[in-house]
Amino acid sequence: MLEVRHLKVSYGLTQVLHDVSFDVPDGKIVAMLGGNGSGKTTLLNTLTGLVKPAGGSVMFENAECAGLSAYDLVRRGIVQVPQGRDVWPSMSVEDNLFLGAVTRHDRAEIRKDQANVLELFPKLMPKLRRAAGSLSGGEQQMVAIGRALMARPRYLLMDEPSAGLAPAIVSDMVDTILALNERGLTILLVEQNIGVAAAVAEHAHVLQNGEIAFSGPAAGLLDDPAVLRSYLGR
Amino acid sequence: MALLGRRNVFLLLAAIACVVPAFANPYHLFVANLVLIYALLAIGLNILVGYAGQLAFANAAMFGIGAYTTGLLQVHFSFPFWLAFPCGALVATVIGLALALPALRLSGLYLALSTLAFAQFTQWVFLHWEKITFGAGGFKTPRISFDPLPISKPVGLYYLSLVIVIAFVIFAQNVIASRIGRAFVAVRDSEPAAASLGVDLLRYKALAFGISGFYAGTAGGLYSQMLNFVSPEGYDLFQMVLQKAMIVIGGIGSIAGSLLGAGTVILLLEALREVKGAQEVVFGGLLVLFVIFLRGGIVSVLRRYVAGWDEPLRNPQREAEPDAPPIAATVEKPAQ
Repeated sequence: MLEVRHLKVSYGLTQVLHDVSFDVPDGKIVAMLGGNGSGKTTLLNTLTGLVKPAGGSVMFENAECAGLSAYDLVRRGIVQVPQGRDVWPSMSVEDNLFLGAVTRHDRAEIRKDQANVLELFPKLMPKLRRAAGSLSGGEQQMVAIGRALMARPRYLLMDEPSAGLAPAIVSDMVDTILALNERGLTILLVEQNIGVAAAVAEHAHVLQNGEIAFSGPAAGLLDDPAVLRSYLGR
Repeated sequence: MALLGRRNVFLLLAAIACVVPAFANPYHLFVANLVLIYALLAIGLNILVGYAGQLAFANAAMFGIGAYTTGLLQVHFSFPFWLAFPCGALVATVIGLALALPALRLSGLYLALSTLAFAQFTQWVFLHWEKITFGAGGFKTPRISFDPLPISKPVGLYYLSLVIVIAFVIFAQNVIASRIGRAFVAVRDSEPAAASLGVDLLRYKALAFGISGFYAGTAGGLYSQMLNFVSPEGYDLFQMVLQKAMIVIGGIGSIAGSLLGAGTVILLLEALREVKGAQEVVFGGLLVLFVIFLRGGIVSVLRRYVAGWDEPLRNPQREAEPDAPPIAATVEKPAQ
């Protein structure tokens, strides 16, 4: 269980997150929705150790994790799939995947995990030695997810995986997220695409101006007037 | 293996290098040794700038620190060269590691400026701490002896440089092909993505600065012994430009390119030594031409037209050869 309590984050004098509290239960998919500038990426970066919180607590499996380095959090099983894919473009797909396991030293297991990733994303198999930057947006997203899986996460924190993808590819991405969850991964999905969130998540939160404005079941999210009002401004 | 691939070409060059003292006059031997010393500098700088993406301008200072430490330990404390030399490399390595600390917070232009300020400070110390460094006039270093081997000092030093270059090239190739090399490129291409996957930025930046300092310090020790003289002007801003030019002309992000760049620049400068003013004009013109028309350097042309010039982390454009199946195909599928 990932328990976030009263989390505050500031960039200098500007407070970006105000008293954010929510849970991500084991084995579930939880969505965090919000518009541009609502603080979604800051929240994710704080949970993965890239940004230090100004206050609050992040408990992961009953241990305090707020302020730990990204390295420590990856080793504990919390891994981020960054926004905009952010693959290493000059490196081959294979090297991108191997680098996902940079905190690990079990070579045989790393190779087995690479085989698992290629089983999940067979399209990558013939492109293993291609530069990751030369792949399509959808394939780069596969590399980004596969790279994160190579770290053997238990919690996967995905930052807008559907952004910039064609509708058909978004549908594949939804299937991928569900497949990952079926394999036992707990997922915190940060999204702008409310349709994707409604399709995969059991529970959703809406972040607005650094505060959680709505929390509830993801089913029926699109019909909830409170969500539409706070998220879409209707 | 491709006949004209980089491995065969460099094996041939190494074989030729082994017999150079047999037919070279003292001047040619001096130039050959200079190429070897600059090869070390270019490889170290390329690891830092080309692979790890740290735009640092302190390599000339590291070169100077290696030379000064080696020379001063011999002069002030009567250290034998064989002890002073590794000490020089070690001091440059430690200072290189310390330079990684500002690199954690700075990047791009700001990192360039801070390392340039460090280089200028080092120059100031070389020039003004006269009691220790002998100031602008520099100082002579004791000549190394290769007794009981029946070889002269220039020949012995040349072979010492050659052995070190071969060892350091092999070391650099292995580092780049390992997870360390991948982490360097990850830091260069996207620090946030690297950090989000647990790449320890301080560790890998420090490693890149440390390796670069070690190579430059080693080169400095050899250089001080080759000239038997150390003075501040050998380690100034022009020295830095020279080293940067070598990796631009040879190929940024390439060990082979570092060797080619060092050889090309030194041989060109020496060939033009007799023509007054030509060195600066040709050197500057060549640099501009490469920056505008051939950013990948000499090695990018070789990669495009000659098989076997791909290097680790630089071969993703090529499709997997049919006889080299992807790793996953060789691994037993795990049970679901």
